[in-house]
Amino acid sequence: MNCFLWFIVFSKRKEPPMFPFNAEMETDKISKLPGHIMDRILSHLSLRDAVRTSVLSSRWRYKWVTLPHLVFDNQSVVLSSQDQTLIKNRIVNIIDHVLLLHVGPIHKFKLSHRELQGASDIDRWILFLSRGSVKEFVLEIWKGLRYKLPSSLFICQKLIHLELFNCLLKPPPKFDGFKILNSLDLQHITMDQDVFEHMISSCPLLERLTLMNFDGFIHLNICAPNLLFFDVGGVFENVSLENTFHLAIVSIGLYANAGYDQNVILGNTGNMIKFFAHLPRIQRLEVQCFFLKYLAAGKVPGRLPTPCIELNYLSIRINFNDVEENLAALCLLRSCPNIQELEMLARPEEQTSVRAVANILEEDYLSCPFNQLQLVKIAGISGGRQELDFINFLLANSPVLERMTIKPAALDGALELLKELLRLRRASVRAEIIYLDPER
Amino acid sequence: MSEGPMAIVKPEMKSYIWLQTADGSIQQVEEEVAMFCPMICREVLQTGMGSSKNYAISLPQRVNPAILGLILDYCRFHQVPGRSNKERKTFDEKFIRLDTKKLCELTSAADSLQLRPLVDLTSRALARMIEGKTPEEIRETFHLPDDLTEEEKLEPLRNMTDDPRIRLLNRLYARKRKELKDREKMKNIEIEEEHVDERSVDDLLSYINGGDGDSKGGRANKNKKKNRRKKDQPRNSSSNYENGNHKNGEVDDVSSPSKFSKFQASASAIFSPKLDFDDGDIDDELDPAMKEELDREVEDFARRLNSVWPERMHDILSLGQERRLAPISMNGNGSLQRCTGDELADWQFTTPLTHPRRAK
Repeated sequence: MNCFLWFIVFSKRKEPPMFPFNAEMETDKISKLPGHIMDRILSHLSLRDAVRTSVLSSRWRYKWVTLPHLVFDNQSVVLSSQDQTLIKNRIVNIIDHVLLLHVGPIHKFKLSHRELQGASDIDRWILFLSRGSVKEFVLEIWKGLRYKLPSSLFICQKLIHLELFNCLLKPPPKFDGFKILNSLDLQHITMDQDVFEHMISSCPLLERLTLMNFDGFIHLNICAPNLLFFDVGGVFENVSLENTFHLAIVSIGLYANAGYDQNVILGNTGNMIKFFAHLPRIQRLEVQCFFLKYLAAGKVPGRLPTPCIELNYLSIRINFNDVEENLAALCLLRSCPNIQELEMLARPEEQTSVRAVANILEEDYLSCPFNQLQLVKIAGISGGRQELDFINFLLANSPVLERMTIKPAALDGALELLKELLRLRRASVRAEIIYLDPER
Repeated sequence: MSEGPMAIVKPEMKSYIWLQTADGSIQQVEEEVAMFCPMICREVLQTGMGSSKNYAISLPQRVNPAILGLILDYCRFHQVPGRSNKERKTFDEKFIRLDTKKLCELTSAADSLQLRPLVDLTSRALARMIEGKTPEEIRETFHLPDDLTEEEKLEPLRNMTDDPRIRLLNRLYARKRKELKDREKMKNIEIEEEHVDERSVDDLLSYINGGDGDSKGGRANKNKKKNRRKKDQPRNSSSNYENGNHKNGEVDDVSSPSKFSKFQASASAIFSPKLDFDDGDIDDELDPAMKEELDREVEDFARRLNSVWPERMHDILSLGQERRLAPISMNGNGSLQRCTGDELADWQFTTPLTHPRRAK
């Protein structure tokens, strides 16, 4: 009996526990799953958890090394120090070692650790990636100055998605775009005007473009025949969309209130017409911050030459006390007959004196039906005449309206506003007008 | 007649697809349910098979009848177009409440049938079972054999640290764990042969290293590179471990570098060959100030390790949690602050893991 026990113990010391031997080998199903499934399972974990699986058993030692997506963020690299040098050393160490142990193609690389400042080590990693066939590259530098991207980034011709935050782009002179780039997301970046234009025009397959808080260029000249999604927020002087006939979703925010001298805008085409000239297929449009002012500069027609028949969602940030903006808003509204959802947000900070406001013409009430409009949201209003005119106009021309939500800017005058709202006639018998309390 | 309206049965104009699993059994399945699987759909459209029992579609080997039943349940629910997202989600959540064995088989089978949404669902479920757990827990959940040696467990992760102190600490922890494990085993069995064997092997090692019991470390230091490569002996036993200076008495006297290097070296001599290689290199690079710091830290940890192990580790880790920002200062005056459990628990497995903490 002793010998028997001894045997068991002996094997226990050297080999995996043998009891119950057969059952265990049978039930260890997960280790036998094929590599691509294992990659998929491990890719649902943070990189840290995935690397930790290497100590589970001998079969698991190198299961993680074929992960095609590598994400280095605060979840995968947990630090407890505040010393910048230590932090940097640790992050650099971990990334170096993961890259060194990794096997196979890297399809996605994301570096977005909140404590990491731009460092030359990043150059080294980008060089490493450029030798492979990285498809998605996300780099977010949360601390420190704009990080200048190395030239090796610009030779990653397999890139499909590029996302940069707090970076400086200065591609080499020979750079001729990313030939299969589909999605570009640049936020808090600096690049020159010509670099920007060249980048956009030399990425022929570009479908999504996001630009936020950019420096170094002020003219948004976008020539992108395949563009579908365009999201901009920043300070610019003009927008020129060229050859963007598929553009379906646009969100533009002009953060600076530039005064537009009407005399300066030359020619007969104001910004409104110019902007919509190449947007026949637009479906969703958000006009944010001061962009409506930009659109209102120059000659604003009664309605656009070609109506936006596919536009179903429109959101406008508007100063109801500004004549030009009202005209521009009316022009827009008259030009989207199939709109389903409308949002009008009042810009609160402007207290311009109420000049002669644009009147909504009687004929509008007859010739501008919103036959598809179901949902309207109006916020930040104070009960002024103009605002009520707009609401009246919308209610009268929306036969299928389901819900209109109204949220005033402040409690002052809210009661008056409500009184006026009650009086308004509604074309739709199903319309609900919902009053929301203003935010504190 | 007595069955009432049910008596008149209209023959349902349903078409069926015939499927054959690897074990030979054949089933018939409603067409719309079976066609939800891309692989079956393709087979039907390209080869025209599946219309009768003789021409049943052979399913891939990874699909056994029980799992096929589960997959068909999934397909049957999801192929109905009118379901809301919420309904589908609820169904999915209930559906994957299976034991790990079934989940793995299901993942594998769904993959071979190219049923991508089901593969995603099951992969996510399996990932959830791995996420945030300690290796012991994961091994238990999936019945994985614990067949890596201690140094193998440290090896891939060892490179993740650049701090020699952390390496030292890892070794100390690993050794302590081994010692505990050995002690456990020793309690149950009273076999001496094992110990004798290893002890004699280690004696042999020390002989090769050219020293007696205590100074084997010193010599080993000098010959470090050459000798360690030759070694691939089994691991140290607990008896040898006691030879090392984890006793309070010895370690108290830490001011002299010589003691330290002896400790370092003997630690490495006792420990496995592969890691020693690095030790030697590190020792050479340490300047005396650093050595003194390490001395102190070693003493600190030796004291800790001598207390009860698991509770202590838990304390250290939870302290690490509360005082997240206790840095290790690298300055020369030796004002070493406490090394929190955080640093170590990060990418190492030598300590029981708690849920990963996020940096601020």
